[in-house]
Amino acid sequence: MSLAFTAAALGLLIAGGILYLVRRDHLHGSHAVWWLLVAAAALLFGFFPSLVDTLGVALGVKYPPMLLVIIGLIALLLKLVQLDIDLSRRERRLRRLTQKVALLEYELHQRTAQGETKPAVEATAVPLTGRKRRQAG
Amino acid sequence: MLDLARRATPVHPHRGRRTADVQYYTQHMSRSSHVHPPAPLLVVIPAHNEAESLAELLPQIQSRGTTVLVVSDASRDATAEVARAHGARVLQLPVQLGAWGATQAGLRFALRHGFRHVVTLDADGQHEPACIGDLLAAQRESGAEVVIGTFPERLSRARLLAWRWFRALTGLRVEDLTSGFRCYGPRAIEVLASAEATLLDYQDVGVLLLLRKHGLAVRETPVQMYPRRNGRSKVFASWLLVAHYMLQTTVLCLSRVGRLSLPRRRYADAPT
Repeated sequence: MSLAFTAAALGLLIAGGILYLVRRDHLHGSHAVWWLLVAAAALLFGFFPSLVDTLGVALGVKYPPMLLVIIGLIALLLKLVQLDIDLSRRERRLRRLTQKVALLEYELHQRTAQGETKPAVEATAVPLTGRKRRQAG
Repeated sequence: MLDLARRATPVHPHRGRRTADVQYYTQHMSRSSHVHPPAPLLVVIPAHNEAESLAELLPQIQSRGTTVLVVSDASRDATAEVARAHGARVLQLPVQLGAWGATQAGLRFALRHGFRHVVTLDADGQHEPACIGDLLAAQRESGAEVVIGTFPERLSRARLLAWRWFRALTGLRVEDLTSGFRCYGPRAIEVLASAEATLLDYQDVGVLLLLRKHGLAVRETPVQMYPRRNGRSKVFASWLLVAHYMLQTTVLCLSRVGRLSLPRRRYADAPT
């Protein structure tokens, strides 16, 4: 088995896997764009491994394969930081929404208590175990 | 219970910037048919599985005729039922947010319903409800937006050391950084109810730094405190938690070094 074959096979595998995930809607929006770029890079370097050497020489890297590793690491780090930023944003939204649900639920109960409207379903945000307990007691 | 809930219908529209919560209030509440005497003070009690302590604590506050809001932080016991039975208003968070998340829900409630002052109180019976008046008096006299009730004798040596470390890092001149017995004025309520304060985890250093950033004065006043009746501090339960808390708060302090206010983010994506 030659290096060219191994590299191409790996590139195809990575790109194919990512494309499959995007098609199945497991990755959406900006995530899909990022991972499609990764897939493209995997295909490019898989079919033209000599690109690494060319690029290494051009950038003055003495041992070109390291270039690939370093670029990969930097890309991973950037992706991780972006993920944590996204997580923090989501946490903020989740907390605001949780508080809002509680505030609205309070007002809903106020209104039903005043007999203005009766909701078709009892809207309660009590955790399941809490509800059981209330029914029991 | 119904009457209690109705009696204290808010009548104080909040001045200043109109946040969505305030807007809601002015649109829906101020025109409501029953306008009653002002109820400017709200006592907020964040509670996570505190049904037993609340049963002891609430009668002591209710006897003073104050409006009480218990924020049940995804409690799995009868916290909400006990609170309602004692005539308190109740918010039930469907997801556990921690002490600060629950307290902030209470502040948002205050903003939405036109309460101009909030006193926060721990549910575990540490704080003497009779001292609520002291906090309010201290706020009136000093004109400070925030008054912290302190009981320095409660602090262990390790904790004193920790506080000294945070004071040195931040330049805050507050003796008891974590006391949850506090009184907030209208401007503080608005700042702390905002999305900017949502990612804080404890009602301590981060809150104080945010207040300082907005130029709001903080004072302290001595109050009576008791050892917790049930259980121990959730933050100081184990060395691992302490280490985590110290590290997280230290990072928070360092990230807020200096008084230069970075341009304020708008958090347009956060729900109001």
